[in-house]
Amino acid sequence: MFDRPEIMQLAQELAGHAARRQERVAENVANADTPGYRARDLEDFQSYYAARGEAHMHATRAGHVPTASFGTPAGAVIDTRTEPSPNGNSVSLEAEMVRQAETKHQHDMALAVYKSSLDLMRAAIGRGR
Amino acid sequence: MASLMETLAIATTGMQAQSERLRFVSENVANEDTPGYRRKVTSFEEVVEAGRRTGMVQTGPVELDQSALARIHDPGHPLADQNGYYDGSNVNLVVEIADAREAQRSYEANLRVFDQARKMSQSLLELLRR
Repeated sequence: MFDRPEIMQLAQELAGHAARRQERVAENVANADTPGYRARDLEDFQSYYAARGEAHMHATRAGHVPTASFGTPAGAVIDTRTEPSPNGNSVSLEAEMVRQAETKHQHDMALAVYKSSLDLMRAAIGRGR
Repeated sequence: MASLMETLAIATTGMQAQSERLRFVSENVANEDTPGYRRKVTSFEEVVEAGRRTGMVQTGPVELDQSALARIHDPGHPLADQNGYYDGSNVNLVVEIADAREAQRSYEANLRVFDQARKMSQSLLELLRR
C-alpha cells in the first residue's frame, strides 16, 4: 500500500492533540473546587509537532524500526501559571472555557482538512464525492 | 478517541462530586432549625490511582462543622436550660446559598466540557459515514 499523505498524518496529529488538550481542560474543570490543585495545560501544537519532528528517525534499511511504532508522545504538560485563589487552587473557569473553544476549533480544522484530503483521494481514483 | 472517552469520564466525576456537594447543602438547609445540628462540610480531592494522578475528582470524608452552635432564647422550648436558652444549629443560610450557587456553576462547566467532548467524538465518527 501507499504511504498516507503527510497532510493526513498532520491532520490526525492535530486532532489527537486537540483531544488530549480537551482532556486537560476536563481535569481542570472537574477539579475547579479542589483545594491545592494546580491547573494544567498542554504545550501548543506547533512546539509539540516541532519537538516530535526532531525526535523522528529515518528508517533507511529494512531492519530499522520506524519511530512511529513507539507510539506518539503525548506532549508536555505545563502549568498554566494563573494566580491561585486562597485555597491554593489555580483553575479559572473562564480561561478553561476559552481553552475549550480553542480545542474545538483545532479539532474541527483537523477533521475538515482530513475530510477534504479524503475527497481528493477519492477524486484521484475516479469516484468523485 | 481514547482521550475523548477519558474526558467524558473525568467530566462525569466532576458532575458527580458537585451534585454530592449540593446534597450536603440541601441537608444543611433542611436542618437549619434542628436543635444541636452541626452543618456537614466536605472537600474535594483528586483521585490518585497507583500513585498516578488521574485528573478525576471525588468528595473527601464528610466532617461536621465545629463552629459554635447558635444560642437561642426561648424559655418555652422543651430543651431550654434554666436561663431560657437552647442550642440551635450552626447553619448559616447565606453561606449555604453561596455554596449551592458555586456548585451549580461548577456543575454547568463540567456539563459543557462533557457536551463538547461528545460533539468532538461524534464528528470524528462522522468521517466514517459516507
